[in-house]
Amino acid sequence: MIQFDQVTKRYPGGIDALKNLSFKVDKGEMVFLAGHSGAGKSTLLKLIAGIERATSGTVLINGQNLGKLGGTQISYMRQHIGLVFQDHKILFDRSVFDNVMLPLDVIGFDRREAAKRVRAALDKVGLLEREKSNPIRLSGGEQQRLCIARAVVHRPSILLADEPTGNLDRDYAHDIMALFKSFNQVGVTVVVSAHDETLMNEYGRRIIRLAHGHFTA
Amino acid sequence: MKHLLYLHGRAARSALRTLIRQPLGSLLSLFMLAVAISLPLGLYLIVASLSSWSNGLAAAPQITLFMEASADRPDVETVNQTLKQHALVKSHRFVSKEQALQDLMKRNSLNGLTEGLGSNPLPDAFIIDPKDTAPEPLERLQKELSGLPMVEATQFDAGWAKKLHSLLSLGHQLTLLLGAALGIAMVLASSNTIRLQILSRRDEIEVSKLIGATDGFIRRPFVYFAVFQGVLAALIAWGLSAWLIASANPALAELATLYNDHATLRNLNADEVLVLLGGVALLAALGARLATGHILRQIEPQ
Repeated sequence: MIQFDQVTKRYPGGIDALKNLSFKVDKGEMVFLAGHSGAGKSTLLKLIAGIERATSGTVLINGQNLGKLGGTQISYMRQHIGLVFQDHKILFDRSVFDNVMLPLDVIGFDRREAAKRVRAALDKVGLLEREKSNPIRLSGGEQQRLCIARAVVHRPSILLADEPTGNLDRDYAHDIMALFKSFNQVGVTVVVSAHDETLMNEYGRRIIRLAHGHFTA
Repeated sequence: MKHLLYLHGRAARSALRTLIRQPLGSLLSLFMLAVAISLPLGLYLIVASLSSWSNGLAAAPQITLFMEASADRPDVETVNQTLKQHALVKSHRFVSKEQALQDLMKRNSLNGLTEGLGSNPLPDAFIIDPKDTAPEPLERLQKELSGLPMVEATQFDAGWAKKLHSLLSLGHQLTLLLGAALGIAMVLASSNTIRLQILSRRDEIEVSKLIGATDGFIRRPFVYFAVFQGVLAALIAWGLSAWLIASANPALAELATLYNDHATLRNLNADEVLVLLGGVALLAALGARLATGHILRQIEPQ
């Protein structure tokens, strides 16, 4: 499903965010990405989503070599990925409902069917009764859950989350992790990055540890 | 394919919603565009009306062909046959020397002059309506006719026709020039409007890109917006020119009656309206396309 072959990402200025990484995530697997900030976790997730391109090496997603895809093809590839951002990237000029509608609009989903899907996704993250609210009135944890609803509403085959529990207290973090686990249980491949390893250890999944762009044991 | 049409329909509807919800500012820019379009449009209509009027003028250039005084019936008949078959001659009329003399008498009340003259000094003549009233073919026809046997001279009022034609062709060129300037202005105006719109929706575009929106998807509503705005402006300009024409026509008609003539300015016909709307839509789309192409490259998700 996700395969890295000797991937190096060098940012302008000669800093190597990732050095010669090779690994594989199977279809339906759930993997944690651990490491301090600056270890390259975000870069790795961006490479999977095609937001950044590898300087060398190959990134294969669903058998497609991202380095060989054009801009439009990368866009279509992203329609099969759900992204949860550390900074949420929520739009405050529209309701909670319309924020979650966005990915279905991009795909061109039938409106009535889409509304059902949006409500199902909001229900899943416990925000159904807030659908008409402006997201500015949601708490940090609620905004994170809104971001998750938006990431799964179009039923992606891969779900990527960059530090989704970063700013949340432990109870809230557990709720979020439980959500990811439930998506994984219905067959979604999930990659979640975090720096709190004790939280990850409770879930008994594979943990990929990064430091300075390398794997560590 | 069906899906693409569906996406286009949605983009168009969303653009229409944006247009309807637009505040005063865009209404003003809409009128600015409309006035800009109505300038070359008005000039075009004036020139087009004048051209068709000048073609129908009774005083359209005629060539008068004078036979030599010694020409007899067969000579006249030869020329007559040549004129009948000539491609550049619309119609011709024979005026015999006898008839010419009578006309002259009648017009000037010179009865009794014939006695004093002894013999008729006037030549046989043909009055010819040429098919093409442009100066060049006229001159060509005149030269050719002068070369016919037993033809003494040909005459036509070249200066008058030349002046009118050069004035009209100047009008045509001005229209083209204004039209081209407007075309460029149209592209720039639409690209500017769209650029501002895109910048105000930067966050939305960035998020859309992150969740898999193609450039085409992002661009579409903006291009539709520009096209709708352009077409609306063109329709307003059409209305403006209709109003101008309606208010100018009575005065023009009054002026024309002084010269015993009819003259009216006409508005656009259906074909011309289609060309106008199509052209404006195309230019607006081009402007929007330029703006989005440039800015979409700048807005890359981080």
